[in-house]
Amino acid sequence: MSAAITLWNKHMVKSLRNSMEMSSMLIQPVLWVVLFGVGMGSLLGPNMPGGQDFYITFMLPGIIALTASGGAIGGGSTWLNERLQGIVKEYLAAPIPRLSILMGNALSTVSKGLVQSLVILIVGLIVGANMTTNPLGWLGALLLVSAFTLGFAGIALAMASSTDNTGAYHAMIMLLNLPLLFLSNALYPLETMPTWMRIGALINPTTYVVTGLRYLLIVNGTELARVEAIPLWLCFLVIAIFAILGMWLASRRFKKSLN
Amino acid sequence: MVESSNKRLAIKAEGLVKRFDENILAVNGIDLTIEANTIFALLGPNGAGKTTTINMLTTLLAPTEGSASVAGFDVIKQANEVRNAIGVTFQETTLDDELTGRQALDFHARLYGMSKDQRTAKIRELLALVELEEAADRTISTYSGGMKRRLELIRGLMTDPEVLFLDEPTLGLDPQSRARIGDYIVELKEKHGMSVLLTTHYMDEAEKLSDRVAIIDHGKILTEGTPSELVEQMGADVITIIGHGNREEFVSKINDLPCCETVTSGNGLVQIGVDSGSKHLVEVISQANQSDFVVDDISVAKPSLGDVFLKFTGRQFRD
Repeated sequence: MSAAITLWNKHMVKSLRNSMEMSSMLIQPVLWVVLFGVGMGSLLGPNMPGGQDFYITFMLPGIIALTASGGAIGGGSTWLNERLQGIVKEYLAAPIPRLSILMGNALSTVSKGLVQSLVILIVGLIVGANMTTNPLGWLGALLLVSAFTLGFAGIALAMASSTDNTGAYHAMIMLLNLPLLFLSNALYPLETMPTWMRIGALINPTTYVVTGLRYLLIVNGTELARVEAIPLWLCFLVIAIFAILGMWLASRRFKKSLN
Repeated sequence: MVESSNKRLAIKAEGLVKRFDENILAVNGIDLTIEANTIFALLGPNGAGKTTTINMLTTLLAPTEGSASVAGFDVIKQANEVRNAIGVTFQETTLDDELTGRQALDFHARLYGMSKDQRTAKIRELLALVELEEAADRTISTYSGGMKRRLELIRGLMTDPEVLFLDEPTLGLDPQSRARIGDYIVELKEKHGMSVLLTTHYMDEAEKLSDRVAIIDHGKILTEGTPSELVEQMGADVITIIGHGNREEFVSKINDLPCCETVTSGNGLVQIGVDSGSKHLVEVISQANQSDFVVDDISVAKPSLGDVFLKFTGRQFRD
């Protein structure tokens, strides 16, 4: 575990030193909320039951999920770079458990995702999303986001372990990322989707993290989330399974890449 | 740690084989016995199996067949103990460009569980050894190739390893940096009792630095000994002939002469080891004339490891 923490620390130091990475990491989610949220909100606003600010409130959990998956992709690229540059050999020759190498990367990915989620929540409050300030709600939300990031990081790490080509990695991950966002209830509710799409959305973990976040973060979120007919415990269960499956996949591909 | 290392072998390998994807045989049955407190060089061209051998001995790759122990520990069953006892400098740079030199050393030592005080002291000592103090707090991306190599070398030394692996430690460096790193390596052995396994394809380096040399090609060790033993078996002098014509007949005639100890031919070259070059020069040329072999160029020189290499591989050594 201490090796994983050392590697986590190393990734964090590297990111903090990199002002370009830091600023884009913090600005990107803000742009999503402000540009997309406010823009779509004013388009839909007058017709929405919750009023002008309702869309921002509605889509905020989706932006958090999107940002988390973006962070996970970044974690995968970090891993791919370390593999391609041979940096991973330094770890492999050190007296540390092989899996701690993977854990260090996953930990730093989750940490960065948490910082970004907090930024989104604060920006959301500022632009007037109807959010709860209940600390338990926020805590639960961050827990859920961490588990979701871990699951997605697992997929990204597995892919980064399976290829030696940066371009191929990004192409593969984009192909996966797009339906994960759009084939979910992140940007539009389940009830308005055609049936085939709703089925797709229901097998997509993004739907469960988004629904869970609505329960936990939004004032009267229970009403909003209940429409989807997904209980909160199911959100936690699905995301927990997603996290475990993701890390299992990552460790399998990782072990294979060592031979 | 250093005291006990004198009593046991640094490296012992028996029948090491590494096969990739069924049909690529990178290492084909290597036996090695390396005493503690020696510098041992694996000399061979690119693709000879040097790096694969090092990767197996440093526990990065599992051997397909055979067994090996490093610092007395089995590389498969006691991989973690081996990792604790060794330092490695890989052939390609494995530095994180975005860290400073000091950070790179510190994170490395933390992976080995060194305390903060130990790390600080060791970093100071080693930075001074390779004269990198001034650059220590700059990001590695600003370092020159030689500085990066020196940093990697001391990174491998952070943990006071019993056995140090250096895969092409001076590859791509200017002669001055090469000489300097060579001096450090000798110093490590002499002052700190370390055992060093290095690979190189610089002949002069292997000859100058190492106590023992093994020539490796196609995944096999062809010969092994001290540099002078290897060179002496070539004879006192080597006559090197470049020519064209009936080379086979010429070589067989030379082989029949009593004076000539070894004859090698390949790549248009014929090399003849003799007890005294100047004495036999005329004799050799007259044999060439008798066998329709036209001599374009002929030289007499003291043999070098390069000549040994040619003898065992039938190929000339290219740097």
